[in-house]
Amino acid sequence: MKYFNYITQVWYAEMHQVLHNFGLIIFSILVPLAYPLLYTFVYTNETVREVPVAIVDECHSNMSREFARKVDACSEVEVLYHCDVAQAQELMRREKIYAYLLIPSSFDKDIAKGRQTYIGLYSDMRCMLYYKAALLSATNVSLEMNADIKTNNYLRPTTDRQAEIMKAPVTNSYVPLYNPQSGVASFLIPAVLMLIIQQLLFLSIGTSMGITREKNGGSGIPSDNPYFRNPLCIVIGKALFYVPLFMLIALYMYAGVTDWFSLLSLGDYATFLAFIFPYVLACTLMGISMSAFLYRSEDPMLLYIFMSVPLLFLSGMSWPVAAEPMFWRYVSWLFPSSFGTHAYARIMGTGATLHEVAFEWKGLWIQCAVYGVTAIMVYWHELRRIKDTHFLRHKQGFLCFFCDYF
Amino acid sequence: MFPRHKSIWRRILSLCLTDVREYLKRPLLLFCLLGAPLICIIFFTTLMWSGLPTNLPAAVVDEDDTQVTRQFLRTLDAMEQTEIVAHFHTFGEAREAMQKGEIYAFFYIPEGTTEAAIASRQPHVSFYTNEVYFIPSALLMKDMRMAAELLGLSLTRETLYGKGLTPDRAMGILQPIVIEKHALGNPYLNYSVYLSNIILPGLIFILTMLCTSYVIGEEWKKGRQKLLYRDMNYSQTTAIAGKVLPITIIYSFFILFTDVYLYRFLEFPCECGVLNMFVWGVLGVLASQGIAILFFGIFIGQMRFSMSVSSLWGILGLSLSGFTFPISAMHPVLQYLCWLFPLRHYYLIYVNQALNGYSIAYVWQNVVALLCLMLIPFVVIPRYRKAFLKAQYKP
Repeated sequence: MKYFNYITQVWYAEMHQVLHNFGLIIFSILVPLAYPLLYTFVYTNETVREVPVAIVDECHSNMSREFARKVDACSEVEVLYHCDVAQAQELMRREKIYAYLLIPSSFDKDIAKGRQTYIGLYSDMRCMLYYKAALLSATNVSLEMNADIKTNNYLRPTTDRQAEIMKAPVTNSYVPLYNPQSGVASFLIPAVLMLIIQQLLFLSIGTSMGITREKNGGSGIPSDNPYFRNPLCIVIGKALFYVPLFMLIALYMYAGVTDWFSLLSLGDYATFLAFIFPYVLACTLMGISMSAFLYRSEDPMLLYIFMSVPLLFLSGMSWPVAAEPMFWRYVSWLFPSSFGTHAYARIMGTGATLHEVAFEWKGLWIQCAVYGVTAIMVYWHELRRIKDTHFLRHKQGFLCFFCDYF
Repeated sequence: MFPRHKSIWRRILSLCLTDVREYLKRPLLLFCLLGAPLICIIFFTTLMWSGLPTNLPAAVVDEDDTQVTRQFLRTLDAMEQTEIVAHFHTFGEAREAMQKGEIYAFFYIPEGTTEAAIASRQPHVSFYTNEVYFIPSALLMKDMRMAAELLGLSLTRETLYGKGLTPDRAMGILQPIVIEKHALGNPYLNYSVYLSNIILPGLIFILTMLCTSYVIGEEWKKGRQKLLYRDMNYSQTTAIAGKVLPITIIYSFFILFTDVYLYRFLEFPCECGVLNMFVWGVLGVLASQGIAILFFGIFIGQMRFSMSVSSLWGILGLSLSGFTFPISAMHPVLQYLCWLFPLRHYYLIYVNQALNGYSIAYVWQNVVALLCLMLIPFVVIPRYRKAFLKAQYKP
């Protein structure tokens, strides 16, 4: 009963602190609600269509025009200009176009003579998506025209069916699973959502710790609260506040954000809940452990904000894990977000069940155990420091290293 | 402490020296000033050391299992970005491996494909990618598509050889139109060139904004703002300049370090010279500081709040610079909003100068915008008088 009382008092103290500080309310409630919406809004168009390109047609034949027409008809690009090379280069410099196609003057002659002809694709490399769009449309048109030329000029089919077979002796189809429009939002947002949970948990817990330390002369234990006695109870009490709060936020992301922006949602609630609980718990315990280094309420912002971007890349959602150096892969296992982003993306995106995300799920539980121990050690250390009268006597001298304003 | 006859420069210098001595007492601030940029530079360049991911894990479901399909799979496996790590017996197994994240794509060859191909019955093959992982699936799609097209063409080639054509002639018939790719400025499609060049300055700009708000807010937090104001001879400009100057110098050094490391050591394309890029980087740092000073001036005394807004601005800047997802595909509101982010202008100037080597005249608007962002603190400088004299730190 005594311990139960300790836990509830710590829980209450934490809630009181968060709800009575505007800065903490921002981090733990307002930003988690608003930021996913803002971020998803940025990427909501998903794909790049109608990239402006120019065509430099030095051939002016029937066939080269057919090529130009077919390129223009692709959804990826829009042919805005027909001009010469110098003009195209100038347009590129002026950012009016991002690529141009150069059809050589010998284009139709080469084809008529049965020689290969080369169409140059000159693309600005400022953005991979522009290059991808230009290359994809040019390749698709060339494949289609190649099949026509091959069949009509050389193979000479007798029936329509034979022509079809000659064009494509083996047909193929490409099925982009789980994200049919190859959208940017669909692959980026799940990772960002999970990172938001982790980073905001770190920020909230760190800021709360900073505030406590500022009030209590550098100690993480409030001096006016007699219930902060047992490290285990402190950690449980704090976790009991943050875990349900961020579980609710995660549910809001899962149900709300995903639905409003029509992101992928193939996962089911049970799997999601079974995964999100260890994730939020691991983040909370890691946040408590890391708060050992934070002595002021502003410190977490300095430390955590810039980490978001490396962590996004470390998670392996954008840069493939297969191409990650082993060292960084091991480092990524230190952070719950690396497991969390993969598991969430696969649960939501591919409808994976717990069985398929078992590796990540186990990883999260191991992190819970490890960071649970370190979190308890942090508070054990804090409590010992208070008890240590020797420490108290030298408190002034020791703390000025961290907090010189005391 | 500071006699009245001291010049502005002497005042700024002594403020900087006092500040730097204080930084030395704060391990966490020192980490953000010196450790964080270094870690980021090392992290991003080593993570994407290979430039373009190769040998990405893929699988095949070969229900046909003939000599022809084996030959085909060897071709696919030999391609640059594909590595076939598993052969599955059924479609379901492959899908499950995909859900487990073991493979990014798989190629499906149904039973009877070879037979149908020989008998001209037009068989159908298909390939599937896991688009939840965008970059690897896009790369694998390219290889698999190529392999699938080659499969059809190789059958026709045999027919043409049978008719007595030479390989040269046959290629002229099979692939009359060839697309010659010229990826200007980044011919190897190096992702590190594409990403590190913007992410690293972007992170330095974020850290600049945060540390600037932090060191200015420190005066209010310690309740020394009035003393500082008096020591700076009641000039807000001198006080703010003295506070932010050490940050400018430290992060400008990291901009220089990044530029030398990327363009000299890693030999990333730089058409305009390292010094030129350094100047634009420093302008970006100053513009970021300008925005941080603006926010602090707007939310006077609320250090943590202005730091939150600065960090939001910095992180959003990475998206709104438009280097991963182009601005032209975003909502019109965002297309105007992006003008307020230093990284956006830095990115366009980088593309113009370092990547393409064009004349700076083509991006004059961005240069002007960057300079405007740099000078934006002068809008709120009068407000700082009130801040110095009246505002108190609000926890």
